[in-house]
Amino acid sequence: MASFLLKRLVGLALTLVAASFLVFSVTEFSPGNVARKTLGPYALQEQVDLLYKRLHLDDPLLVRYARWLGVLVGAIDDPLQDPVLKLNFEDPRGKRYFGNFGYSTLFKSPVNDVLWDRVEHTALLAGIAFALIVPLSLLAGILAGMREGSRLDRAISFLGIVFTSIPEFASGVFLTAIFVVGLAWLPGTSPMERGAGWSLAAQLVLPVTVLVLYDSGYVARMVRGSMAEVMNKPYVRTAILKGLPRREVIIRHAVRNAMIAPFTVILLQINFLISGVVVTEMVFAYPGFGRMLLEASLFGDISLIEAATLIALIVAMTTQLLSDLGYMLLNPQIRLA
Amino acid sequence: MSELVHSEEQAPPSLIRRLPQSRVALVGIGFVLFWVILALLAPWLGLQPPNAQDYAAIAEPKPSAAHLLGTDPLGRDMLSRLIWGARTVLTVAPLAVLAAYLVGCTLGLLAGYYGGLVDAAISRLSDVILSFPVIVLYVILIANIGPSMLNIIVAVVLASAPGIGRIVRGLVLELKSQDFVAAALLRREMALYIMVVELLPNCRGPLITDFCLRLGYTTITIGILGFLGLGLPPPDPDWGGMVQQATAMITVWPHMALLPSAALCSLVLGFNLLADGLRELSLRE
Amino acid sequence: MSEEKRNPNVELVKSQFVEGKMDRREFLRLATLMGLSASAAYAFAGKVTGEGFIAPARAQGAMPKGGVLRIGSRIKDIKSPHTYSWGAWDSNISRQVCEYLTLTDEKNVTHPYLLEKWDASPDLKTWTLHIRRKVKWRDGKPLTADEVIWNLKQCLDPAVGSSVIGLMKGYLLEEYDTGQKDEKGNAKKSTRLWDANAIQKVDDFTVRLNCKAPQVAVPEHLFHYPLAILHPDDKGVFQAGAMGTGAFELTGYELGKKAVLKARKGYWGDGPHLDGIEFSDMGDDPSAAISAMASKQVHGLVGADPVQYDALKALKGVEMYQVATAETAVLRVKVSEKPFNDPRVRKALRLAVDSKKIVEVALRGLGLPGEHHHVAQAQPDYAKLKPMPRDVAAAKKLLAEAGLPNGFDTEIFVPKDPPWNGAESQAAIEQWKEAGIRVKLSIMPGQEYWDVWTKVPFGCTIWYHRPLGVMLLGLAYRTGVPWNETGFSNAEFDKVLGEAEGTLDVEKRKRLMARLEEIMQEDGPIVQPLWRNNFTFYDRKVKGFTMHPTNYIFGNRLALEA
Repeated sequence: MASFLLKRLVGLALTLVAASFLVFSVTEFSPGNVARKTLGPYALQEQVDLLYKRLHLDDPLLVRYARWLGVLVGAIDDPLQDPVLKLNFEDPRGKRYFGNFGYSTLFKSPVNDVLWDRVEHTALLAGIAFALIVPLSLLAGILAGMREGSRLDRAISFLGIVFTSIPEFASGVFLTAIFVVGLAWLPGTSPMERGAGWSLAAQLVLPVTVLVLYDSGYVARMVRGSMAEVMNKPYVRTAILKGLPRREVIIRHAVRNAMIAPFTVILLQINFLISGVVVTEMVFAYPGFGRMLLEASLFGDISLIEAATLIALIVAMTTQLLSDLGYMLLNPQIRLA
Repeated sequence: MSELVHSEEQAPPSLIRRLPQSRVALVGIGFVLFWVILALLAPWLGLQPPNAQDYAAIAEPKPSAAHLLGTDPLGRDMLSRLIWGARTVLTVAPLAVLAAYLVGCTLGLLAGYYGGLVDAAISRLSDVILSFPVIVLYVILIANIGPSMLNIIVAVVLASAPGIGRIVRGLVLELKSQDFVAAALLRREMALYIMVVELLPNCRGPLITDFCLRLGYTTITIGILGFLGLGLPPPDPDWGGMVQQATAMITVWPHMALLPSAALCSLVLGFNLLADGLRELSLRE
Repeated sequence: MSEEKRNPNVELVKSQFVEGKMDRREFLRLATLMGLSASAAYAFAGKVTGEGFIAPARAQGAMPKGGVLRIGSRIKDIKSPHTYSWGAWDSNISRQVCEYLTLTDEKNVTHPYLLEKWDASPDLKTWTLHIRRKVKWRDGKPLTADEVIWNLKQCLDPAVGSSVIGLMKGYLLEEYDTGQKDEKGNAKKSTRLWDANAIQKVDDFTVRLNCKAPQVAVPEHLFHYPLAILHPDDKGVFQAGAMGTGAFELTGYELGKKAVLKARKGYWGDGPHLDGIEFSDMGDDPSAAISAMASKQVHGLVGADPVQYDALKALKGVEMYQVATAETAVLRVKVSEKPFNDPRVRKALRLAVDSKKIVEVALRGLGLPGEHHHVAQAQPDYAKLKPMPRDVAAAKKLLAEAGLPNGFDTEIFVPKDPPWNGAESQAAIEQWKEAGIRVKLSIMPGQEYWDVWTKVPFGCTIWYHRPLGVMLLGLAYRTGVPWNETGFSNAEFDKVLGEAEGTLDVEKRKRLMARLEEIMQEDGPIVQPLWRNNFTFYDRKVKGFTMHPTNYIFGNRLALEA
């Protein structure tokens, strides 16, 4: 077990390095260069050229990547904080520390000042959504899979498939039109600030609903499929034929066994949620991670994109690891493999 | 084992042939065909040019005799833009998914067939790409290489090919140990022959379902990119972009955003139902 | 009054107005620029035209007290006011704290603000600025000449990089050789004050600008958004707690999220009536701002886009404010690129569009058709030319003469924001089609466009409002200036523009302006189909708001009904 974990953690670290290099090379592909973005569109070309030289942006890609990595792990100083550049960039944490993501050219402050607040907001949004998606889709999936082909099954399956076919932007836009402008029950944007007379809870209703609608359909269908399969297994049939109460068979035997396969799917939904929040946060002007990533990508803020990607990757890969571990615990046969 | 060889000859074609047995699949095909036929016939339907602006309609863009489904914020005929937009979606999504399959199958076959270092290299690279949240990957890519039809296809290939490759690799690993492959090896067939003629056709069953699901998801993705302003460049109609352009007016002129949203959902629903039906059929075997 | 009478410029302006050579609007502008107080100018105008004297001052009446006004905006970088480049998004926050020496109002009349008044010498080369004695910093100390001079010098220091240099270079600065060479071996040039005494301290409350060339528009330049008067102790940095003369204090700020301003006690001027102002970021999505207005999360928006108009208008309890402006987006070509190097092709581009229709499509009618010369009817130096209607046949003929009988294919680059830029381009593309000009549209993220805006062969560039036509022409079309994005260079244009800038005689200047406009229509590098009305919506509870052509907000005048 320990060696398995160690192996996976090393793999995780290597993947992170590879992925960050991938992102680094893609973002460097863009025509605008770091110097221009740092100084803004109205800066004189000579100022840009000077900064370009001082930051050694003409070095090969690998060298620049290594430098970025060096700053991140705290091995070298952040070049943008060099007072010679007169950029007034200052990180209160110092020039050199572990986890230094550098300076955001979009937000004009250290990435660490921008990032965590937004990660927290998104964690809140995704957390609530996740807490609703799991019981909802489990309930719907079990109810549907319990009696395959029943009217309830068809209704749930159909609704599930319809919800997964409605992209978040469409449901977001229409829920806003109905509940904000039409009925005036809910606030239209979610800046997560009190003061405009809307509680934080009210501000979360619409974004959470949008995420829940899209994702529960998918998970419910997975649970249903697995449940239906288990219900067809001989031992379940036998139990029912033996005269055990159907309720008990379902709760005791079927559900537990049916959960093994969807368990992975459910944890991987976190990855889906991260995708979903980009659109949802944009529709509701929610001050989260997804909107920040979108804005950073459009602006070409390399430091911020890198930091955001690393966090998204860490979340995605940790859940992957957890789902593997959980799968092993649920299904003892695999442990030997 | 002989059963499997048997099924190689019969099962996959029969899956398509047995489609009419699944009501779900039929409904799905109905939705998809509806848009395919409209898209194919677009030039002959007597539609107004999709980019032509009717200046008189701008103040009152709602449905009228001149514009059966109204106009968009720039006075362009909605009906025409929906149908021409279907043409775009139904070109880009299948092209992108096909391209992704081409790359994905190649990767999967190579990894599964050769194993060892090749497998390790391909699988690790796939792991890296698969660990990205999909939209994050799309946004970073498109924001940097710019929105165009080709670039969207490139992005879809990059994001989807590893997933496809992984499925194919798994199937190949299973098939490799089987008689007909061993026979081919004994006959000293070329590796390419074994991969393309012996292995690939046997992966068809699970891949057809995956293909339909991916079509649906890619359609949604193109819509999302359009909505984020990273989609196909205007002025040519693209459903996601049409929704984005109209969201600000939704409370006054809901048809502008509602119609393209509904079109997108119905097409995606079609693909999803089709995939569902196919899966059920293959399970019923 | 006696001093004003002695100023020959005031007399010249008055007499031209009396003789009917100048309309009321232009008289008010020029008379106040020449140092006549606004009320005296309005009174004089009233006597001449027989209109009753309407005081320009807003009906202050009994304004409600208290409340926090919430405004939807973009929250951009506000750290260094002297190098601002947005105008509305950034300066509207600092404007409530750090004020300006003058104020150009929504009618284009410039008033003294932190100044008590100014005097211009008859040759328009010496400008004496008298600082208003009652102006106090938040710590109670008076605003002095030293502090004003520090701000002026700071903005004119090339190391700071303020766009004020572009405005004042012609009369306060000179170019010199730094003695250093760049990589290509060319001598590095920079700018410095043309004379050690160019900015002179007369006494603690008087500053004199000694210019090397005559300039009419000095007071207007002093209102340019980077010229906020900061306290020297803040070293050019604006942040929470920064010192200012304004009615508010910045207490919180987060880029991309919000800015919080709190009213302060002991403000030297009128107001403030509010307890505070909060700006919050609404993002790029135009519908988010509408939703926020609908659910009363904000009371109003800094500015609205035409795509938001229908939905905002349909909301209950809101009031629309609009003003005609000189804001436009030019569809401009690079004159060095084929086929745009041929002036006939450029003119054909202009002839092939129908400006009125584009105003309807792109602005939903909220604007005026442009005449392709970048001087607006909203500007006092506008000269009326013969109309230049759409003429597809003439456009085709010009293209044929230029060797393009079948038209040509090209691509236009357009920034994503604001959305009406894309709408304008799409409308023009449809119209160009008929003349055989086939244009592909490439929408770019705004930031990316601003990286290449001076380089793309064919692009769509927004130009914000400036009070004067000559200011726009000088910034964008004079040979070799930094913002000349088209590479346009026309010797006659440069010469006439220089004359127009230094001419006070209205008739003569109108003739010069007409010539400039003709050159733009015949030879110019732009298609300019529209002028925007800037507009916005505010909750009816908000009192005292007027729409400024550059979307400026003056928080001390605003109030909120309970």
